[in-house]
Amino acid sequence: MSVLLEIDDLAVDFVRDGRVATRAVRGVSLELSAGEALGIVGETGCGKTVTGLSILRMLPPTARTRGRIAFNGLELLELPERALRDLRGRRISMVFQAPGTSFNPVFPLGRQLQHVAERHLGLNRRESARLVAERLREVGLPDPERTMRLYPHELSGGMLQRAMIAMALLCRPSLLIADEPTTALDVTLAEQILRLLRSLQRELGFAVFFISHDLDLVGDFCDRVAVLYAGRVIESGPAAELLENARHPYTKALIAALPRHGRPGAALETVSGNVPAGLEEPPGCAFAPRCPIAAAECLTGPPPLTLTGDRAVACYRWDAA
Amino acid sequence: MTAVADWTSAVAVAPAAPARRRRAWRRLRRDPIALFAATILALFLLTAAFAPLIAPSADQGRGTAHVASRDLGPSAAHLFGTDHLGRDLVSRVVMGTRPALGSAVAVVLLAVLIGVPLGLAAGYVGGRIDEALSRLTDLFLSFPPLLLAMVIAALLGPSLTHAVFALAISWWPWYARLARSVAQSLRHAPFVDAARVFGVRTPTIIARHVLRNALTPILVQATVDAGTVILAVGSLSFLGLGSQPPLPDWGLMVSDGRTTVLTDWWIATFPGLAIFVVALGFNLLGDALRDVLDPRSGG
Repeated sequence: MSVLLEIDDLAVDFVRDGRVATRAVRGVSLELSAGEALGIVGETGCGKTVTGLSILRMLPPTARTRGRIAFNGLELLELPERALRDLRGRRISMVFQAPGTSFNPVFPLGRQLQHVAERHLGLNRRESARLVAERLREVGLPDPERTMRLYPHELSGGMLQRAMIAMALLCRPSLLIADEPTTALDVTLAEQILRLLRSLQRELGFAVFFISHDLDLVGDFCDRVAVLYAGRVIESGPAAELLENARHPYTKALIAALPRHGRPGAALETVSGNVPAGLEEPPGCAFAPRCPIAAAECLTGPPPLTLTGDRAVACYRWDAA
Repeated sequence: MTAVADWTSAVAVAPAAPARRRRAWRRLRRDPIALFAATILALFLLTAAFAPLIAPSADQGRGTAHVASRDLGPSAAHLFGTDHLGRDLVSRVVMGTRPALGSAVAVVLLAVLIGVPLGLAAGYVGGRIDEALSRLTDLFLSFPPLLLAMVIAALLGPSLTHAVFALAISWWPWYARLARSVAQSLRHAPFVDAARVFGVRTPTIIARHVLRNALTPILVQATVDAGTVILAVGSLSFLGLGSQPPLPDWGLMVSDGRTTVLTDWWIATFPGLAIFVVALGFNLLGDALRDVLDPRSGG
């Protein structure tokens, strides 16, 4: 499979009053092949959303981005504003966390999808209406002609998320960024939305950059998983293998903390301690202060991401035990 | 998909958009106060449109004196009586609807045209541009409108047109503030981010998403303001800073009848009543619109 998206040593700082206030991403390298689903997992503040937003250059003006992001050979970070706008929503699309607020409350749903079709595909109003109806049917919304006339507040969260997916896939993008697309939904709906996304992905063949804090979900949905910690990739590999046989102590702790691994009635496992915040730069491995197997060498410097086969881990001692 | 069946019922209860709009309209019509206000304004608008046909004497309404019938009290021949120059006051008041409504619309329109774009730019772009535009707004707000009108009248000579400009200059900052607050609250709204993610240009986002959300508060504010502007134009004319005789301006007529209000009470009273009723109508309608126009309320 050909490489669709290549993120190379991406670093994102946020500045306040001319000084770096937060180092959100500290050198992330990722590859995504065409049609592949890559899961990005980590705690709040690990840099997963910032990484996702930087692909479309959607970060606020206070962000300083370094490194490179290549999409189909296009340097996204250097792309002129105009070319970038033509790419957004057409070749790279995004699904958001909160479907309820992602639509403008004063326009009927259909018009908002039609705007996208008219903007990118140069369709007129009638053609765009026909296309939108077709796309809404594709995501399982009943009676699209009627649904299109409804205002966002007249639809449920699940229906809105389906509409959001329809909008994202309207122009048949080759990459879909999904930032916690099911977090705002209840469990059954989340399940349905994921099933829908997967069947659409199989049918249309787009790649997915799937951001989530839920390892189980990512394990189910994705081909490969990258675990982020404090702005760095600490482990990556094929989803099933990584979940089965985690190498990094942080990934292991995350898996142990999943409710399904606890016994009924027993206290849930947690990863003690906190993610190093903002500017804090531990002398060695960022996870060392919380790590059960940390040793002296862990404080010498950040461990490099070492490849073995199709798996990578950034830990000095993962095979020590 | 099995879940589709449950949604169909959910969709069936939710009204479609045109039905929702019809419902807002119906609610407006069912509101007795709104209906009352709308009727008043409709009557005044019709009167303004057909003033020369409605006025018993359009010429006297425009200002031609008719000395033979000076200072007559209300009677069958002159329902509102006549003024010091013998002009029929019904004709004067009827012809007066044109400058009154015209100046109100002109002031509000000018204020909206200046204030809204500046406010949207300030609120959406933020930063230094916001800072600069907001200080400019504050600067203009710091002029008392009457004082500004007096300065302009002193510099350019008093006239209704100059009064309209003076009022528009002191009125636009309110619309700038209104538009700015909406733009600022929507700048980081998820649907604005979504529009950016889908490749929409900033000017289009402002025009389509931000302005559209600001229209309702602007319309409500403009309706209420139209009443206030009529009062303000009346005040300026009353003070001699607005319309000049023989223009049939209600404020001017009140001023005209001021000295004889105890004897020839009708000269000041009927034009004054006209000002009062129109201003009331705009205010009541503005309030009713505020309640009905929110797409999220009810329906």
